[in-house]
Amino acid sequence: MMKSLMILAAAALAVAWASPSGAADVKIGYSIAKTGLFAPAAPSQINAYNLWAEQVNARGGLNIGGKEKRKIKLVQYDDQSSPGNAVRIYEKLITQDKVDLLLSPWGTPHHFAIASVVERHKFPMIGSTASSVQLRSMKPGNIWFTTAAIPDKLAAAMVGLLKNAGVKTVAILTNQLPFGQENKKFLMPALKAADIKVVVDSDYPPNIKDMTAILAKVKAARPDAILALAYPGDSILYMNKARELGLKAKFQYVMVGPAIGFWRGMFKNAASGIVTLGHWSPHGENARAQAFYAAYLEKFKEEPDYLDSVEAWVSTEILEQAVAKAGLDKDKLRKVISTSNFDTIIGRVQFDGVQNAVTPTGFLQIQDGNIHIVWPKSRATAKWQAKPGWK
Amino acid sequence: MDILLSGQLLIAALIIGSIYGLVALGLNLIYGTMRLLNIAYGDLVMIGGYVGYWLFTLAAISPIIAMLVAGVLTGLLGAALYFGLFRRQLSGRQSIERIEANSLLIFFGISIIIQNVTALAFSATPRTYNALDSLVQIGEISITQSRMAALLVCLGLSIFIVFFLRLSPLGLSIRALIQNRTASQIVGIDVNRVQLFAFVTGFALAGLAGALIGVTEQISPFMGFPFTIVAFVVIILGGLGNLAGGLLAGMLLGIIETYGVALTSANLRSILIYGVFILVLVLRPEGLLQKRRMT
Amino acid sequence: MSLNFSRDALPLLLVAVGALCLPLLGNDYYLGVGFTLFGWVALAQSWTLVSGLAGYISLGHVVFAGIGGYLLVLTWGAVPIWLGAIVGAVGAGLFALLVGLPVMRVRGPYFVILTFGLAEFAKYVVINIESVLGKFSRLLLGGPALQDLYWVMAALALVGTFSVVVVRRLRLGAGLIAIREDETAAGTLGVPTMRFKLIAFALSALLPGLVGAMFVLRTGYFEPLQAFDPIISFTIVTMAIIGGSEDARGPVLGAIFLVLLSELLWSNFPQVYMVILGVLLIGFVLFAPNGVSGLLDRLASRSLQRPGVGLV
Repeated sequence: MMKSLMILAAAALAVAWASPSGAADVKIGYSIAKTGLFAPAAPSQINAYNLWAEQVNARGGLNIGGKEKRKIKLVQYDDQSSPGNAVRIYEKLITQDKVDLLLSPWGTPHHFAIASVVERHKFPMIGSTASSVQLRSMKPGNIWFTTAAIPDKLAAAMVGLLKNAGVKTVAILTNQLPFGQENKKFLMPALKAADIKVVVDSDYPPNIKDMTAILAKVKAARPDAILALAYPGDSILYMNKARELGLKAKFQYVMVGPAIGFWRGMFKNAASGIVTLGHWSPHGENARAQAFYAAYLEKFKEEPDYLDSVEAWVSTEILEQAVAKAGLDKDKLRKVISTSNFDTIIGRVQFDGVQNAVTPTGFLQIQDGNIHIVWPKSRATAKWQAKPGWK
Repeated sequence: MDILLSGQLLIAALIIGSIYGLVALGLNLIYGTMRLLNIAYGDLVMIGGYVGYWLFTLAAISPIIAMLVAGVLTGLLGAALYFGLFRRQLSGRQSIERIEANSLLIFFGISIIIQNVTALAFSATPRTYNALDSLVQIGEISITQSRMAALLVCLGLSIFIVFFLRLSPLGLSIRALIQNRTASQIVGIDVNRVQLFAFVTGFALAGLAGALIGVTEQISPFMGFPFTIVAFVVIILGGLGNLAGGLLAGMLLGIIETYGVALTSANLRSILIYGVFILVLVLRPEGLLQKRRMT
Repeated sequence: MSLNFSRDALPLLLVAVGALCLPLLGNDYYLGVGFTLFGWVALAQSWTLVSGLAGYISLGHVVFAGIGGYLLVLTWGAVPIWLGAIVGAVGAGLFALLVGLPVMRVRGPYFVILTFGLAEFAKYVVINIESVLGKFSRLLLGGPALQDLYWVMAALALVGTFSVVVVRRLRLGAGLIAIREDETAAGTLGVPTMRFKLIAFALSALLPGLVGAMFVLRTGYFEPLQAFDPIISFTIVTMAIIGGSEDARGPVLGAIFLVLLSELLWSNFPQVYMVILGVLLIGFVLFAPNGVSGLLDRLASRSLQRPGVGLV
């Protein structure tokens, strides 16, 4: 406690020292769901943004084109979980608040909705928590996406991991929300091509309250692998029911949920062996990743979300490095972001058009309370293991 | 199709049905006696969830005890709202339509306030905790303790309340009030006291159920709405103000949710539930089990 | 047929003058606010036709906007955009006519919840259709510019306001109000209740169909959970109540009030804004059941009385 207070005091002093009189703050704006349907998902991202701004300011400010350092002032609005509001807010940020830079909102629909706004105003913005094959149809130049978890690539990588695990039969359970549907669409032909048999294929609506009927079918079919293309809410239903029924598949994939801290807190040992979506782990060699993990844990007393906090953080790293090179000029910035290499917690990132061209698509597995990258092998921090029984 | 015959499916249907039944019972008490449409009902379930979470996380108090605390807290909230907002409304000479419409809006306001005050106080980050999670084995069926507890409490409490209403003097006054307001006043029932009791009980049931539900789901400030919807669907299927009908309708919904899905396909779940709901209302606009009543 | 200034001309003027003035402020932000404002005005006026006049409170009006938006999406690329939007409106109207026959027989709280259930039902049907079609959300690239959408929406708000002014003056409007006061009595007095209710329901679906199409064009993105979001239905009701839903003034004043409030507050205090919204809603129901327009009336009559008081 004392130590962090002293660091804080030192930081404050450094800040007072470093900021030359008159240098205005750099205003960086974004919208996010503080209220409504998506509000529970947003803190992972907001935390990352706040941590970044705090760290940069403690270092004396954002390096603008190597010429000066200016303090960051975040301008945040609530989009009430509605993409329509996000559109309005980004217009306000650009034309009314005249922010210097933009950060991205939470979620695929919101990214898609504001793509036309940043395009019309020629205002470069680095996206974060969005994934869909459709993002490739966006016009490149003012929006970029950091994620490596795009459904068609995910399908290919999943088949690789499944074959590696010796899986011959799978059951697929798919949430009817867009990301689940899209993943399934690419998974089905990929599984077929790899001669992996789909023994149960069941879609379910996002507001499902009981999975007994579906999972009883899965149990009867005895698949080697269960792929639950689930979201956080229904992934909890899956876990509870799979445990009650004692589903024994050696490979159990729960798409979205396990990467979030509260989820693992709920299941503790029972979650051991669950595979999930993601391409980041603090357990590798990357020093930036370890530093980010430690700082996040220290500030928020919980682990970062291995997907959302990470993507949000990567987008700030890219923005910071681009601004250090190009300054705040939009044309220069666009050029630098489109062509440079960036050093991030998921390794080197470079964009090809709108998408991250470097980071390979991967999967994580919970092993003894830690989350490891288990695929692709080139980046693995641990080997995939068969799921132990439900404890 | 031996899945249909499995005990696991039956018990799942019973658990969901009894939770739906209990949640709807509280809502129905409030509507039946006072014609108040409480669409903040799911938010009371949410409050119950948070009470269970904090008591367990901070003081390691079991959800079984937390559920009583939650019931008392939401009951007190109910009493405060009753005296603060609704007593005046109810004692006025407003028409029933007016009270229904107004209460819908007032409770919508209350719902927004509860949700956002909770978000301000505890942030929107979802919470979960790990209690009563060991498995109980009954023959072929295995089930977590928390869901077992939910089943026993919801079923037991629902049956208790239905008998209470049939046998105790206060219960009989409540039923009288549901059936005919004016006549109850004439025969000397203390309407104000009975209303307060129904209002507070309704609130308390929601909080209590919430503490049980919160063990198996993620808790967040905006989790309540689906429960409001389910509760409304149930009490309308059963007939507004018809308490036993509501319990049966809750079970019916539980059966659709499990057996309906097993027979057809899970993606039809919501279509089935709302479809049955719409069909019933269109064919029997007063609810499935509604007795004609005089007003 | 005389026009009452405060009831009829004022809301029309407010919409028309507002529509002309907002673009003068000269940036996208104000156009965006205007687009949203006029969208709400059009939706709330349509809602007033059936819920304000006839007293059948619809808690599922988003279904018409959702259908309008979905039809636009389905026809995207096959027909010109304006035609797609019209298909959306007509589709929403036909849907209202079709379901109205059984639905408009249901009364009171049963009707309220039924409309909500209907909207949810439609939402999940669309989700399943999309899933069968192998679509997982739709991106519409290259839609019209904000400027164009703004003018269309302003026109829709004006048409909506005008329609309430006109309908109130027709036999239809008088009949609907009679139904609200006492449906059985209205029936015995020779009001064709079922026909009137059906017409009102269908009319109240047309504009929301168009508004829904505009919403989709604005974000360039369609996903059923967003397009059929029940919050939209709740907001319509809130606006109408806060405005006072007896005539064309209510929805206009209610929409202006709420949009202004949200622009002022949501910037920095999102949760506080929502809490204030809740308090306002309760306050209006308890203390100002006739909404903002009722308050204005009271204010107006007081200022008229004041000189009189002074003379005595």
